[in-house]
Amino acid sequence: MAAAGGKTYSFKVVLLGEGCVGKTSLVLRYCENKFNDKHITTLQASFLTKKLNITGKRVNLAIWDTAGQERFHALGPIYYRDSNGAILVYDVTDEDSFQKVKNWVKELRKMLGNEICLCIVGNKIDLDKERHVSVEEAEGYAESVGAKHYHTSAKLNKGIEELFLDLCKRMMETAQVEERSRGNGASNTSTGRRGVQIVDDEPQTAIPAGGCCTSA
Amino acid sequence: MSQRSERRGIHVDQSELLCKKGCGYYGNAAWQGLCSKCWREEYQRARQRQIQEDWALAEKLQREEEAAYVSSHSSSQTQPPQSHSQPSLATFSKFEEKKTNEKTRKVTTVKKFFSPSSRTAPKKESHEGKTPSPSITRQSSIETDRASQDFLEFLKTLQKPGREIQKQSRAFIDSMGNKKDLGAEELSECVQDFYQGMSDRLLNHYKGSSEKVDRVMDQVEKYIMTRLYKSVFCPETSDDEKKDLATQRRIRALHWVTIQMLCVPVDEEIPEVSDSVVKAITDVIEMDSKRVPRDKLAFITSCSKHIFNAIRVTKNEPASADDFLPTLIYIVLKANPPRLQSNIQYITRFCNPSRLMTGEDGYYFTNLCCAVAFIEKLDAHSLNLSPEDFERYMSGQASPQRQDDPAAWLQSGSRFNPALSQIHQNLSVLSNLEKRQQQVIEGAQSLQTELAEWQDSVAHEVQEIMERYPLEIKSRASAIDAENVENDRLPPPLQPQVFAG
Repeated sequence: MAAAGGKTYSFKVVLLGEGCVGKTSLVLRYCENKFNDKHITTLQASFLTKKLNITGKRVNLAIWDTAGQERFHALGPIYYRDSNGAILVYDVTDEDSFQKVKNWVKELRKMLGNEICLCIVGNKIDLDKERHVSVEEAEGYAESVGAKHYHTSAKLNKGIEELFLDLCKRMMETAQVEERSRGNGASNTSTGRRGVQIVDDEPQTAIPAGGCCTSA
Repeated sequence: MSQRSERRGIHVDQSELLCKKGCGYYGNAAWQGLCSKCWREEYQRARQRQIQEDWALAEKLQREEEAAYVSSHSSSQTQPPQSHSQPSLATFSKFEEKKTNEKTRKVTTVKKFFSPSSRTAPKKESHEGKTPSPSITRQSSIETDRASQDFLEFLKTLQKPGREIQKQSRAFIDSMGNKKDLGAEELSECVQDFYQGMSDRLLNHYKGSSEKVDRVMDQVEKYIMTRLYKSVFCPETSDDEKKDLATQRRIRALHWVTIQMLCVPVDEEIPEVSDSVVKAITDVIEMDSKRVPRDKLAFITSCSKHIFNAIRVTKNEPASADDFLPTLIYIVLKANPPRLQSNIQYITRFCNPSRLMTGEDGYYFTNLCCAVAFIEKLDAHSLNLSPEDFERYMSGQASPQRQDDPAAWLQSGSRFNPALSQIHQNLSVLSNLEKRQQQVIEGAQSLQTELAEWQDSVAHEVQEIMERYPLEIKSRASAIDAENVENDRLPPPLQPQVFAG
């Protein structure tokens, strides 16, 4: 899951949202900087990775696209298991897609608690004239559930870099908090599965003050 | 005094409290009056004896079964005769258990012979297929030997840590040999702990870079899982096999699901697409033939790549998850991969978690899990059908294609099924042939009648002519030259002249 010795972080981010809200365009714009381009070279846009360097720390981002059709909704838990962040996309011209996002938020909070960083993204702001979800409503809702809200346009390449950069920073913070609470030592390379078990065994006193990973 | 009376009250004497063996320690009723130490000794001995007996029995059973298998090919029905000679009632339940174990093992092997994997991976299965019954000899197969060799070769490049890795892996495999009775989850726990311990050690003790550690861990996984495969894949302690069969049946019952119902964005009319579809199906089936979790994952990834190619060719844009998942579901339905649940469980339990959680392989594996979950829970709603239609299709009373008249069915069928279109084509070719044959036969018949007529007419004509010109025979002259009137004018025949010499 997260972090190897404070040097490289690996994060899993799931993309959730109804079909046709532009999840794929969003991620293709971010990773390939292309939109509806005939020259897109990748074979697929469902699993993409991006390497980042944030404040001197390397981050490997794995972006998991999910099938947005209603009939696959029940499969959500299989996708977002062990993910560090979720990007919930809706179409600003489509009230229904915003309702779907609300459902996702409820489900994610129920299943994963506060460990997961949520981003609510209103896409297609280039179609602002046809907007059906008001800015106030969306931002108010995001705040009420502890998520951040972003406005993006994959077509105009607006707000996407900020979205992912912000999310990465937040996930790093969460990971660091988790490391600190877990205890800082040989075990911080462990995967989630093992990490959970270690929590009980490891004495809290083992934390060296201001260790390599504790500096935020 | 008071103590004594108390003791007397519950009728327990000091001597009764002591260990029956007389070692001086207190005994316990739960250990049949022995102290903990003596009980352990006693129990261990009894247990050892029991295990040995069971082993002997199991081996005997196995030999008998093998003999039975060789003599008659109807293997599983033959009841081993010594089922009458049970050693004692006490071991009866154990015996029964062993027997069922033997049976289930046999079922898996019999299944293995007929599973599609034996067709798709002839190289490996044929070597397995040579041994007629599940015997221990199979464990040391060519494949495990090769894996060990590769592993040793690889470790040589690592020098000192390599030796330690090898020692630990060997020790781990040996220790796993004693844990056969554990449940699948505990086995998984053991293996995962081993991975964890090993990679921690490599990272911290030998200060390896994370990429290097990953590479080493891949090799470790390959080595130990090739060795352990037989004992931990679809273990008898789990109900994996039952789930396999349930899924297989389920997929078979769903044979009528079409590309349209799943909204799969591939057009199999395009040759390249249908080619990719076939390759994807082959890959997902072939996954079963591999032993190492990572190799299995590699096949899932390759299957996914073929799917992406099919989508890309059809839609001319990179595939999103919205396209990919339905197509994967369609491929799984078409392929009905053998032992699908066992394979998924095996990968989940024994794959190096770092691969499974975030890597690309992990993504495709997760999608496969989703596809299976979808297939299991699939209902009328998820295919956009009415519940009545769904029921009818499931029960086999109706087939979605046959609602219209046969001609339309054939036509529509050929559109989304290359096999159907092939059949259609063959049928028309056949009917064409039949027509031509009919013509040939008719031609032959008319020729025959013509011939007969001709013969008749010839005979008739001959007859007519014969009647018209009756045969007259003139009286003949006696000499050959009689008719020759100018015979006298002919010169005399040449006489041979004799020259005097």
